[in-house]
Amino acid sequence: MRIRNVIQLHTVNRMQAFGWPLLIMLVSLAIVLVIGGLVINVATSQGAESLTEARQGMNTGMMFNGAIFALLGPLIGFGFTAMGQYFPLALGLGLTRREFATGTVLVFVFNAAFYAVIVTVGKVIEVATGGYGLGVRFFDVVYTGVGEWWQTLIQTFILILGVALVGAAITTAFHRWGQPFLWVFWIALAVVVVGVLAGALLSEGFRRLVVDVAAMGWVPWMVVAAGIGAIGGAIWLALVRRAQAR
Amino acid sequence: MTAIVTTDLAKRYAEVNALDGVTLALEEHRIHGLLGRNGAGKTTLMKLLTGQVFASSGSMEVLGGNPVENVDVLSQTAFIQESQKYPDTFRPIDVLRIAAGAYPKWDQAYADRLVERFQLPTKRLIKKLSRGQLSGIGIVVGLASRAPLTFFDEPYLGLDAVARRMFYDELLHDFAEHPRTVVLSTHHIDEVANLLEHVVILDQGKVLLDADTDELHDAALTVSGRADDVDAFLAGREPLEHTRLGSLATATLAARDGDERAAREAGLDISPVSLQALFVHLTTANASATDPATPVATA
Repeated sequence: MRIRNVIQLHTVNRMQAFGWPLLIMLVSLAIVLVIGGLVINVATSQGAESLTEARQGMNTGMMFNGAIFALLGPLIGFGFTAMGQYFPLALGLGLTRREFATGTVLVFVFNAAFYAVIVTVGKVIEVATGGYGLGVRFFDVVYTGVGEWWQTLIQTFILILGVALVGAAITTAFHRWGQPFLWVFWIALAVVVVGVLAGALLSEGFRRLVVDVAAMGWVPWMVVAAGIGAIGGAIWLALVRRAQAR
Repeated sequence: MTAIVTTDLAKRYAEVNALDGVTLALEEHRIHGLLGRNGAGKTTLMKLLTGQVFASSGSMEVLGGNPVENVDVLSQTAFIQESQKYPDTFRPIDVLRIAAGAYPKWDQAYADRLVERFQLPTKRLIKKLSRGQLSGIGIVVGLASRAPLTFFDEPYLGLDAVARRMFYDELLHDFAEHPRTVVLSTHHIDEVANLLEHVVILDQGKVLLDADTDELHDAALTVSGRADDVDAFLAGREPLEHTRLGSLATATLAARDGDERAAREAGLDISPVSLQALFVHLTTANASATDPATPVATA
């Protein structure tokens, strides 16, 4: 098996594989720090009470800070890129589908682990320094986990790996069935979303169920996320075995 | 020994039969020409033989095995296609590095020489390369891979005549030093005619001609002279092409034993038919045979 060649295919451009995501992350972090610095600067001039309020306010509000998606966004795109751009070249260079799938899964796992460690290290520093002395949040947010450091490590790993596998599955299905697949996919997704919203608005019982599901705790949520990733991965592996060059 | 054997190979898409019952046997260590008009099925055949798409029916054997998901076969097979897509963020040097790892017989020194000869900017983003420079990547990979079976599908799209000549020279020179099986698909038929040892012409998904080029030199001839003499010579025979200009006429016809002598005795001039002319005659005649609305090329 020429797994090494597949891994090389994904990583040969080091700047693209690692340099840009980390650089964009640092720029995004710098912007958050500048905003935090400006807020603290204004609050400081208004007295100690205002400063404490500003720190606490930012620390609470920034739990939902989406700046981390400056890093996660490109990583989420890895699945789409793998099938959309690397798969045709892999076949063109005489690599088999099995070799491509095996090597790509390894790259996904490595990427998920590598960036999960980066995010976790960032979170530990962020928490230890009280949001870099400003009360801001960048790594310690709900998307990557606001619990213990190991929870962030696992959550970020599952998030990146799962989305990469689902993205690869969607792209492969699109290659196989074309535009009709996208229509079916988005319509089905819209039906589910509208159904849940309608149920939550119209039925008290359904609303309670939604609230219970939303509050079911970290472990069940991780099981759900891992399950979605596993289903996406299984569908992708099944489809890629019969995928044809376009 | 045969490098490629196909039997009744077919590939059907929803609305078209891209290949329809193709039966071939291509010998190893030769340069084969795979010719055909646009949409004739050439690229589909090469994609089937390299396992990139799956056959609808029929069988194929490449280097002794089925190529589909076969590491032993595919690691010895290079497929250079003009439609090859590269990742947007790649540079030529990235493709060459991966190719170096993928092909066991890769010759890096030769690849470096080819990069220099074709003036390939290896560190420029691929999406910023010209069509000819993109073709240059494929040519370097195809030649430097030294794969025992190499498919070139219109490898020099966008290259000027000088660069194309360089490619032919390199192919012939390297082929002489490192014999391998080459399948070359092209529309520049006259340019490659001297390279080819064997020709397959596909038309509408079927094999229209499968012959050695030596045989083809004698397969057809063109006679020209006074129109009445040409008509008399053609009596009862169906020419591939018949052109009349005033009192003079020219006709191309499938050759039979004694034709040359008979033509000379009739006072007609004889000239050989080039591979490209033969290709045009055959495919045009086939189109008119299958589609009554298509006239035979006459004037």
